Amino acid sequence: MIKVKYFSWILIFLLSFATYSQSSEFAQEEEFVSNFAGQAIEILSDEGISENDKTSRFTDVVMNAIDLNLISKFVLSKTWKNSTDEQKERYLIAFKDYFINSYANKLDQYSGEQVQIVGSEAAGKYVIVESNIVREGTDTLKINLKWRLINRDGDIKIIDLNIEGISLVIAQREEFQSFLANNDNDIEKLIDKIITVSN
Amino acid sequence: MKYRILIVLFLSSVLLLQGCASKEASVNYNNSETEIVSVNDPLEKVNRMVFQFNIIFDKLILRPIAVTYKAIVPEFVRNRVTYSLNNLGMPITAVNNILQGELRKAGISTSRFIINSTVGILGFFDPASSMGLIAENEDFGQTLSVWGVESGPYLVLPFLGPSTPRDFAGLLSTSLLDPMYQVGGGSAPDSLRTYRMGTSAIDFRSQNIEILDDLQNNSIDYYAAVRSFYSQGRESQASNNLESNTQDQENDIFDDFDIDESYVGPDIEVIYD
Repeated sequence: MIKVKYFSWILIFLLSFATYSQSSEFAQEEEFVSNFAGQAIEILSDEGISENDKTSRFTDVVMNAIDLNLISKFVLSKTWKNSTDEQKERYLIAFKDYFINSYANKLDQYSGEQVQIVGSEAAGKYVIVESNIVREGTDTLKINLKWRLINRDGDIKIIDLNIEGISLVIAQREEFQSFLANNDNDIEKLIDKIITVSN
Repeated sequence: MKYRILIVLFLSSVLLLQGCASKEASVNYNNSETEIVSVNDPLEKVNRMVFQFNIIFDKLILRPIAVTYKAIVPEFVRNRVTYSLNNLGMPITAVNNILQGELRKAGISTSRFIINSTVGILGFFDPASSMGLIAENEDFGQTLSVWGVESGPYLVLPFLGPSTPRDFAGLLSTSLLDPMYQVGGGSAPDSLRTYRMGTSAIDFRSQNIEILDDLQNNSIDYYAAVRSFYSQGRESQASNNLESNTQDQENDIFDDFDIDESYVGPDIEVIYD
């Protein structure tokens, strides 16, 4: 029995060493994700503040952590370049509202999950930090999350979240492209639709 | 028995051939004004109609059942159901591991099934994972992809939802390859199969009530959103088994995007309500 105990301690030691050495390459980025998740979870699990406060504080944390400008342009793809300045401005405002409505405001779905960082790797211009969340009430049902980050001289921003192989930004982009393809590639119609949906 | 196999083989070969043929006919919205969107969906008009039908079916039948299930069955029990469904799927995974030439994984899937069905009390618990026996579900659609079969165009099936010719052929063959089907005709394994198929629809739906409601309410184009989720999800499952990695493709998509910092845009104050 003592032997088994010894063995498991050694195993735990080796395992922790293994994950540590694997994940140290982009320590800055990993720390960023872990801080972001920590802040978000702290707000979500704070029972002492009102729902409105919760929403606005959570939205602040999300908006500070992401590069919404870059995401907005990316999901619009080539249509961005062919738009007038006035259209770009209207679109950015509409998309920001839409984004807050459809992503940042989803507090009710949180139920005590913890984010565990698994590792990180370079991905072209970006860095991907991989993490797992464990489904509540289980210890083996995991959901895999990959955060795509851009690091501009230490200023780190999230530009995509990939859940179990599904990139939210790519999905959003395909949705917009499909809408445009079915609506004469008219950005005005897309802006109107975005405004309708977020109200 | 033989007759049924023949029908399914015929159906799958027809679907597979179609899949291969239509690969060339895939629609590209290649327009100088817009980005090339190479979504392989030449049947979009029909698909959208079936999709609408499925939404109504979901609204009237599947969603209410899932909501009731979630409301009256405690979370602990629901998690046990999820585990037991995973466990009942393991024999299928093991067969597909073998068909994919992954004997080691087949050994893991088989051990998982044996351990979880016994020590894990009929699969309601998952002691195998704690022992380090971790397996990902594999279906015959994924095996076909390992064999080099192209997915073919996007298809929305009545009741069953998003699919492709490859995945539909996989779905039909999976029921034939299922060891439980081979072992039991009308006996215990057969009713377990029925349990698995019926319950997994409700298990899946009940896990995604809020997510799907949100997606439906907040979508600019719900059909396109679901299509993207399905295609991306299947691609990434398939790439677990292939040398090619969807991660690379995804990186290319993001890298192709030229980070244009010239237009910063207005500084917008947003009021939260």
